[in-house]
Amino acid sequence: MNPKPQSQTVLVVGGGIGGISAALEAAETGCEVVLIEKGPSLGGRVAALNRYFPKMCHPTCGLEINFQRIKRNPRLKVFTMSEVTAITGGPGNFKATIVTRPRYVKPNCTACGDCAKVATSEVADAFNYGLGTVKAAYLPHAMAFPMRYVLAPEVAGTPEGQSIKAACKVGAIDLDEQPTHFDLSVGAVIWATGWQPYPATNLTAYRYDALADVITNVEMERLAAHDGPTKGQILRRSDGTPAKKVALIQCAGSRDLNHLPYCSRICCLASMKHALYVREQHPDAQVDIYYIDIRAHDKLEAFYRKLKADGQVRWLKSKPARIEPGADGRPVVCGENTLTREVYAEPYDLVVLATGMQPSAKPPMETAMDDYGFVVGHEGGVIGAGVATGPLDVSMSVQSATAAALGAVQAVRR
Amino acid sequence: MTAPTPSRTYDLSFARYVYDHIDGGQRLKLCMQCGACSGSCPIGTQMDHGPRKLFMMIRAGMKEAVLTSNTIWNCVSCYNCVVRCPRQVPITYILHDLSALAIEEGYAEAKKADNARFAKAFWWSATVFGRTDERLVTARYYFSSGLGEGIKKGMANQAIALAMVKTKRMHLGMPHKVKGVGELKAIVAKAAEIQARHGKEG
Ligand SMILES: Cc1cc2nc3c(=O)[nH]c(=O)nc-3n(C[C@H](O)[C@H](O)[C@H](O)COP(=O)(O)OP(=O)(O)OC[C@H]3O[C@@H](n4cnc5c(N)ncnc54)[C@H](O)[C@@H]3O)c2cc1C
Ligand code: SF4
Ligand code: SF4
Repeated sequence: MNPKPQSQTVLVVGGGIGGISAALEAAETGCEVVLIEKGPSLGGRVAALNRYFPKMCHPTCGLEINFQRIKRNPRLKVFTMSEVTAITGGPGNFKATIVTRPRYVKPNCTACGDCAKVATSEVADAFNYGLGTVKAAYLPHAMAFPMRYVLAPEVAGTPEGQSIKAACKVGAIDLDEQPTHFDLSVGAVIWATGWQPYPATNLTAYRYDALADVITNVEMERLAAHDGPTKGQILRRSDGTPAKKVALIQCAGSRDLNHLPYCSRICCLASMKHALYVREQHPDAQVDIYYIDIRAHDKLEAFYRKLKADGQVRWLKSKPARIEPGADGRPVVCGENTLTREVYAEPYDLVVLATGMQPSAKPPMETAMDDYGFVVGHEGGVIGAGVATGPLDVSMSVQSATAAALGAVQAVRR
Repeated sequence: MTAPTPSRTYDLSFARYVYDHIDGGQRLKLCMQCGACSGSCPIGTQMDHGPRKLFMMIRAGMKEAVLTSNTIWNCVSCYNCVVRCPRQVPITYILHDLSALAIEEGYAEAKKADNARFAKAFWWSATVFGRTDERLVTARYYFSSGLGEGIKKGMANQAIALAMVKTKRMHLGMPHKVKGVGELKAIVAKAAEIQARHGKEG
């Protein structure tokens, strides 16, 4: 018989769709839950999607319902700007150390935006994957939860910081905020830190570094989003003209022993979604999808068949060998069409690399992980949820989160 | 209507031989026909099949077509395909060892493969002198297709030869040798012995 758990609290690390779902499921069974998010707002990578398959709805619909559930539930406490630096112990009796970075903006912020109006410097826009910049006092994004501004640490100790503070009518800005540490005693830990895009700069033959019109799939989501850097217009990065001939390159770094050996599972569908984004903007646009084989998993096959009916979308069975700058500056995709054996060199307005997903963080305690760093199993350790356990789409992430919540509830209710 | 009777059966014996006896052949099993190799090849358009298709032909048991293909001879060993292959197939090694097999089994002779004769002339110079002597390699290669053909080719390329002599790219007189040609020969003999043993063991 295992000893009785010392703590009934569940700690969830990572506030993406996986972590949010796990935290809510556990809290709604009556557990005390603490949700830790590294960034300034919840929602993770899903918040930065334009729309999501298979129904092509806006991510805010799905997230908003969950934010309402969080607000209604007094048992669920959320800490943003926070990370877990150490975990010791085991199921029923973990000790976790949490560090919160200063946000310099207190909870009484009304999100009026007066601070941003007086801010003069700009910082990289993390939400838009650095495609643009934001004011040094900023809202992470239009639908951010919590709806609270952030001050970039770069300006906190400067005269600009002082004028930003003076501009806030409710006195929400605290320039003296320091990082804080606290320890938590918890009975179970759910690890839901999600994914990061595989770095396109590693794919040297695709010249992502050198060619402005070679972008990644996560950047494509932001270009297509109405609240993105181009207000939803899919424009070429080089000259701002509309992208009407677009190449989508599958398995950019996935299924490749030199990069990520596994299939990232969602990028085929993500690219099909990107083909729709482009085709919806321009009736005369052409989209070419370069693939090894299309992996539209289980129920998503229907999405694939629908897109196949569009004559302006071409399917080229070929892993492109390289991308070169053309004489007119346009990127030229080169390779062999494996069905016709034609060796091609095709210029495009825009090339989108369907880069895969890799785990974003390791638990700070011994954890069973597979060869690629995804959390597996949870005997005596943390319980994985969402993409921290493997490349999953949103619905599969939510399923895995529900399973993780059940495991956590069982651990604290023994 | 009666169902057709296939005229050919699926025969894996050639593919198995390649997997077991060709340098790098085991990794060939991992090829997923993506085309990155044929697309990376600087002279891919001058290959009849290109590596990807050639590898499929191996799987399909097309021994004769594989060993008479110009793909195995036109590889320039740039290794572009090898560094890009997502399955880390050592494509260059495989092509070179297939050309050795083509010579061994008489396919290169039957096709009068130019590259095979050049490779032989090169190997002769490398093993005899420990260096490639441009003049002798060229002469041996030219005359390998017959006396008349050799004289014709030699005459046609006179100007190039003279220019090479002038710029010291080719020298006249005794061929240069490395020190210790005897040791070199011992090394080559040992390598041949290992290869023969390896061939038998598979
Ligand atoms: C281009 C692209 C398009 C996609 N489109 C779709 C789609 O249309 N439909 C669909 O179903 N799926 C889609 N996906 C997949 C989808 O993005 C994932 O399924 C989803 O993001 C998984 O959520 P998650 O919570 O597991 O991870 P994430 O969304 O990555 O969330 C993880 C959270 O953890 C936080 N975090 C990270 N490290 C730490 C740490 N050390 N401490 C605390 N917090 C941390 C992060 O800040 C983040 O908020 C797409 C993926 C890509 C690449
Ligand atoms: S989902 Fe498609 S693009 Fe992504 S790794 Fe798998 S096969 Fe490649
Ligand atoms: S690049 Fe590698 S995996 Fe792709 S077809 Fe060539 S040998 Fe096969």
